[in-house]
Amino acid sequence: MNFQCKKVENCFAEARTYEYAIPITGKELLAFLDGWEIRENHRFRRPVFSAKQGVLEIKGILAACVVKINYSAGGWEQEKEKMEQWLNQLVIEDESV
Amino acid sequence: MKSYEQPIYMNNAATSWPKPPEVAEAVASSLNAIPGEANRGGVTDFDVFQEVRTELARLMGISCPSQIALGPNSTWGLNQAIFGYPLKPGDVVLSTKAEHNAVLRPLWVLEQKGVTVIKVPVDRVGRVSASDWKEALLAHRPKLCILTHASNVTGAVNDIETLAREAKEAGADVLLDVSQTLGCVPVQLSQWGVDLAAFTGHKYLLGPQGTGGVYVREGLYLHPHMVGGTGVKSDLKEMPEEMPLHLEAGTGNEPSYHGLLAALRWSREHPMDQEALRACTRRLTEGLTKLGCQVILPEEPSTPVVSFGIPGITSSEAADILTGSYDIILRSGLHCAPEIMEEIGMKGGTLRLSLSRFTTEEEVEQVLLAVRDLVESGL
Repeated sequence: MNFQCKKVENCFAEARTYEYAIPITGKELLAFLDGWEIRENHRFRRPVFSAKQGVLEIKGILAACVVKINYSAGGWEQEKEKMEQWLNQLVIEDESV
Repeated sequence: MKSYEQPIYMNNAATSWPKPPEVAEAVASSLNAIPGEANRGGVTDFDVFQEVRTELARLMGISCPSQIALGPNSTWGLNQAIFGYPLKPGDVVLSTKAEHNAVLRPLWVLEQKGVTVIKVPVDRVGRVSASDWKEALLAHRPKLCILTHASNVTGAVNDIETLAREAKEAGADVLLDVSQTLGCVPVQLSQWGVDLAAFTGHKYLLGPQGTGGVYVREGLYLHPHMVGGTGVKSDLKEMPEEMPLHLEAGTGNEPSYHGLLAALRWSREHPMDQEALRACTRRLTEGLTKLGCQVILPEEPSTPVVSFGIPGITSSEAADILTGSYDIILRSGLHCAPEIMEEIGMKGGTLRLSLSRFTTEEEVEQVLLAVRDLVESGL
């Protein structure tokens, strides 16, 4: 598994946000997100992005190799597992290029 | 440790940064030196804890330094005071909606044991009104009153002279949380008639984390919440009766207390430019208001804390961008004071910028430019 994951805590007991350190930038990740609703915002000093698919949301700095993923409350563990499998596969694909 | 390219640190209500260089030097020297023999005395002994107590007593406006028990933080001090105070089921404790979880959670434990806890509402800027306070005192006749000197969310400073006097007139003892004020706002515990006070060393006192404690008025007995070795009087079954030993079980954090002592002495030699700090805070609140932010605006006296919201953006989303895109270190959410949020009309939490004597006008302008970008971004 070629990424690191750590929960991001906030003030709410139901927080379901995880931070992922991945071997590609946010901008590069966007190229793999077919069918996601993608928004980039270049107004900020370090431009940001968000990508949504259903209740799943990936956010981060376009040039950074760390992204945050918010999981919904219902069935979030399955969502997380699915996302990590996908990320894992994605990294493998990326490394094979 | 995270690294930032151009950090603008505005999280001083959580932990102050930067510290005077002398603080780190003192911590390092202590770690490299032979540990002291705390409590064993002797003419050549340098008792850093006693030196700290002496400095703190001056700042707190009390005459007897040994009435200050030193521990790891303010939460420890509050727990010692709340659980050590002689309360029994049926007794009433009066507190406020502006308290930190360091007070709210111990009070919840007391409630489960049959103590009645009444929380006085606060106004839209997080301040306790003297009339609400007096009304609650007369209605509930509490044995103990617990309140914060200043809200950690809004910075509003309470009129403790009046509130403590009324509490004493109603026959209650007063526990004051000065975590947000000591080192920043004048504190006069004896003059105000305060019986107990919890404090921390790592906020406006500029010391390291791992320092804090509780002041106990002479003649007031607290049952020790934690017991253990004191280094002296080891032949006793119980904790020694005299303060501060009575509440200080276990080895103290000597390196951090050397750091706190250095910070206290540095601050005494370098008084804070209150007017410059007020000007920076004012500029920030005015600028945020002009940008259309929902700013909590307590009138003076207040600490250099600015809580606000940006319409249409959650506080956590805004904080992510301000930190991730601009290296502005601030706090978002409930700030460990969940019950004040409804009172101030910010149920989802706030963004909190907390300044210090080291905050510059340029940093304030940088923050305003970043918030302007956020407001205009259409997020």
